[in-house]
Amino acid sequence: MDVKKEKELRDAEAMAEKNILLTGIEKFLNWGRVHSFWPASFGLACCAIEMASSGNPRYDLSRFGYEVFQASPRQADLMIVAGTLTRKMAPVARRIYDQMPEPKWAIAMGNCACSGGPFADSYAVVPGADSIIPIDVYIPGCPPRPESLIFGMLQLKQKIQNPTKARLIKYGK
Amino acid sequence: MVSDSLRARVGELAVRVNGEVEESLGELELTVNDRYAVEALTSAKNFADVPCDFLHDLCGMDLEDHLEVVYQLSSLRGPQRLRIIARVERDNPVIDSATPLWKGADFLEREAFDMFGIQFRGHPNLKRIYMWDDFEGHPMRKDYVVESHEQRAVMRVRKEGE
Repeated sequence: MDVKKEKELRDAEAMAEKNILLTGIEKFLNWGRVHSFWPASFGLACCAIEMASSGNPRYDLSRFGYEVFQASPRQADLMIVAGTLTRKMAPVARRIYDQMPEPKWAIAMGNCACSGGPFADSYAVVPGADSIIPIDVYIPGCPPRPESLIFGMLQLKQKIQNPTKARLIKYGK
Repeated sequence: MVSDSLRARVGELAVRVNGEVEESLGELELTVNDRYAVEALTSAKNFADVPCDFLHDLCGMDLEDHLEVVYQLSSLRGPQRLRIIARVERDNPVIDSATPLWKGADFLEREAFDMFGIQFRGHPNLKRIYMWDDFEGHPMRKDYVVESHEQRAVMRVRKEGE
């Protein structure tokens, strides 16, 4: 750790002892958001089973505060595209995404949602959900294990907490 | 295992409907032309001691020079199984519907229509079941060309009430 960062942390610790925390409003809001994603309970295929089992006590998604799967997109801020996105379903999935209030994020879970997977050449399948919905995190796997989903959500947490860094990586800097 | 009485019944039926009988994968297979299909099915349903009165499955097939509709028959009262294959012309694929005999043929025939474009005469509600209504072509036909990656990535427009 560099000296400057260490000094900052030491100052923050000294302030915390006096019950004072200094931060930016956006940073503070993001801190709240990343510790309580409310995913829309929306599954398209077998990945949804893994998504459901990551909420159970064995994997325990609620350790991170992400377990509140909302039945209505209007109460959710994270969409997990879990499964094969067919062309018949695509406008409906997009509509669900549009109904979610800002700020919102989307995760492509599984090979099908990332790129079409084994059905990439099928007449009925959209090859990659990112042509319909803007995706933040891609989780490969067929289906990905619950650990992968949790790791993906933690990656999204990193992305939201460090917006500048995410932007720099996006533009290859 | 094909019982002798089923073999005899199917043999009689084959003469009447001008069909061919074969044994394949342990089952009798009766191949007929499209206009005899319903007659063959009705008789098979009413065989005296070995009725094949349960429509197990119905599907289409594309053999390039012609299409086929395959009816898998069995019974809840016995081990007998029978496969009836109806040949359909490729240019004008029309065949009588099996819905008067079995109500359950409704969705199966809609599937065969959706995937192969086989028209079932007398079907109560013949429209696409898997693909959306605006979809063009019948994707399981051998000559169907799949749209390109780019075309499939474009979101279709949802109709109101869909």
